[in-house]
Amino acid sequence: MKLQVTQENLNKALISVSRIASSRSTLPILANVLIKTSNNLLSISATNLSLAITHSIGAKISQDGSITVPARLMQDYISSLPGGIIELEVENNKLKIKAKNYTSTINGISADDYPEMPLIEKPSKFTIQSNSLKEALSEVVLVASNDETRPILTGVLFDSNQNGFLIAATDSYRLAEKKLTSLKKEFKLLIPASSIQDLLRILPDENTTINVDYDDNQIKFNVNEIQLLTRLLSGQYPDYQALIPKKFEIKAKINKQSMVSIVKIANLFARETAGSIKINVKANLIEINSIASQIGENNSSTEAETEGEGEITLNAKYLLDALNVIDSNEIDFSFNGKLDPILVTPSNKKDYLHIIMPLKS
Amino acid sequence: MKSNNIWQAVLGEIELSISHGNFITWFKNTQLISDFDGEIIIGVNNIFVKQQLEKKFIDNIKDILEKNGVQVKTVSFKIQNIAREDTDTIPDNIIEESVENNQIDKINKTYQPLTNSLSHTYRQGLNEKYTFDNFIVGDGNELAFAACQAIVSQPGTRYNPLFIYGGVGIGKTHLIQAVGNYLVKNNNFSKVLYISTEQFVQEFVDALRFRKTADFVSHYRTADVLIVDDVQFIAGKEKIQEEFFHTFNALHQANKQIIISSDKPPKDIPTLEDRLKSRFAWGMSIDMQNPDFETRCAIIKIKTSEQGIDLTNDVIEFLANNIQTNIRELEGALNQLLAFCEMRQLEPNLAITSSLFSSIKTRPKHLSSRQIVEKTARYFQIQLDDILGAKRDKDIVVPRQVAMYILRSELHLSFPKIARELGRKDHTTAIHSVDKIEKESKINMEIKKAITEITEKLYV
Repeated sequence: MKLQVTQENLNKALISVSRIASSRSTLPILANVLIKTSNNLLSISATNLSLAITHSIGAKISQDGSITVPARLMQDYISSLPGGIIELEVENNKLKIKAKNYTSTINGISADDYPEMPLIEKPSKFTIQSNSLKEALSEVVLVASNDETRPILTGVLFDSNQNGFLIAATDSYRLAEKKLTSLKKEFKLLIPASSIQDLLRILPDENTTINVDYDDNQIKFNVNEIQLLTRLLSGQYPDYQALIPKKFEIKAKINKQSMVSIVKIANLFARETAGSIKINVKANLIEINSIASQIGENNSSTEAETEGEGEITLNAKYLLDALNVIDSNEIDFSFNGKLDPILVTPSNKKDYLHIIMPLKS
Repeated sequence: MKSNNIWQAVLGEIELSISHGNFITWFKNTQLISDFDGEIIIGVNNIFVKQQLEKKFIDNIKDILEKNGVQVKTVSFKIQNIAREDTDTIPDNIIEESVENNQIDKINKTYQPLTNSLSHTYRQGLNEKYTFDNFIVGDGNELAFAACQAIVSQPGTRYNPLFIYGGVGIGKTHLIQAVGNYLVKNNNFSKVLYISTEQFVQEFVDALRFRKTADFVSHYRTADVLIVDDVQFIAGKEKIQEEFFHTFNALHQANKQIIISSDKPPKDIPTLEDRLKSRFAWGMSIDMQNPDFETRCAIIKIKTSEQGIDLTNDVIEFLANNIQTNIRELEGALNQLLAFCEMRQLEPNLAITSSLFSSIKTRPKHLSSRQIVEKTARYFQIQLDDILGAKRDKDIVVPRQVAMYILRSELHLSFPKIARELGRKDHTTAIHSVDKIEKESKINMEIKKAITEITEKLYV
């Protein structure tokens, strides 16, 4: 292999892939990135056997070839080089890197043993705009569980039918669901939340069209020059829809900023009880109360448009998480009895909902 | 069941031919799904494994299957989430359920793992299949067995603590679990605690994390009998050694029985604190040895009669003669033989057995001493001339000694011959080197790794 590439491009590609190469794997080669020429492009790939990312960049290739080198070292080295042209050359499983004033050789491992990005045979396909996907995923992924004893809840659900395209996640204490315009396709896919985090990292700031290929066991996102493939989780996702109450007796419409500040203040006094705060909805007023028997107690309130009166206890952290991801100046906060789920939604949009389970007080 | 045995035999063979990392990554969690008319379907975890097996290992798998007497037309792989089958059973009302758990004192969901780990019953960890009845007593384990018998008659008074050590797969775990099982069954001991050191460490870390050390401490310090397996893993973990020390003292002072197993004697466990070393050696330390020939025969007889199979004496003797390393390997070989015969509907006899295990004996014959020296030199990236030459720099001496060690352990060459192979005049050099590396490899992970990797490469 022999080629020329710019430091900027190579660095960008290494940044997007090298994070998933893990040195903790049982197979040493998985700590490496695969550098390979194909179709006059230079592709940089890495995998952790749950997820694979390939980033292709333009290069002036004079001789085809491939090699794998330690991801960490390669990325640290390339990122510290000055901008401009870099020459890469492979000889006897060693990668020679030449830049202006710098030359170095990195010992690699032959690419033969590297697990390449799998192909999806006979994939089904859909396309989606990156900005709406990015928004939806960042509003939903935070509630997915990281408890491996219930693997199904560590996934983010993509549920598409003729009526709409739902993206949802839950850890059984809270639930978030975003509704996107229908893709006119029917499928239910369960993607590991950790892969969603990696997908969010590679989604660009400016809008673009993403081509998605999938089958029963894996899904691949083609985002411009980057391809991300991840395995899917299998199993029956719980029927969470049935748990969302249809009607609410107690409702409040509140300015999001003032809600955030009173919840944060109440949370200071709730450390002892692991974030337990009591929210009291009164006529045109919402009041939060938290008690720390050792330290003292707190009472704060803010104005709100209310309907019905009642109180409920919940975990302040979960409420703050919900408020942080909701993109709206005003939020609706609704609940029924002390033991029923609480619904938090943006006031101006009907496409997002966030459910939090109350605490028994 | 039958096809699974075949697959186990295939895995066993593959494990020997490729590196450990490769085996764990690609073959762990694989299964034989169906074998219909030579069309073999193997279940794998995900597409990465599927693709790698198709690309790299399919010929290997075919060969080994055929060697084991399976007609192979095609081998294909199917993705199935083996580890996740249970997920289907999650009830639909998953969220409502959690309301119950959401009481104030439990709200933090991270609290959950702790309640799980500490709420186990006192019999947790004991496997009922390990009893005194199916423990075979021979020369190597007589003393340990007698000590355990004495303990169950009067727990806490004699031989406290009992420290049993010995190599892998010779029945340490069986014996100490048998003590636990016997006490639970016959004495109604309410608190028999069996725990592996790894588990102890894990629970201690959890307790620290969730600030529940008080629960942890009282849990262990109120046990009537504490059985700790593989205590060598406590080495190097200072805080845990301290906690274990206090637990040990509390129990010992209250005359509660403590039984500990390890792969080496207390004084040889590196980075074990002195106060623990001396305490472990306080009661009785017993070395469990590899079983002798008669014991191995007895073990095979018991194992086969458990499965309702009769082996002729010459087969039993052949197995006992050829597999001398440890009981676990002996059982493995026996299972391989039985699977092989079951598959082909044969009666196990001496001819089959010796053909199946002939590879064990002949393996080293393919090797020349020259190859070993070359591979060692290559592994350490030094010149062949250097390793055979007169230089005595440290980075050359160590590889030279490793080469001698491997010559001895793999080819069983005589010391004068080893010395000649490496261009030394005096055979005492070879004796010293082999001795030194043997000791060093127990404590120095670098050397241990080098030896394993070079030996692996020899047989590829």
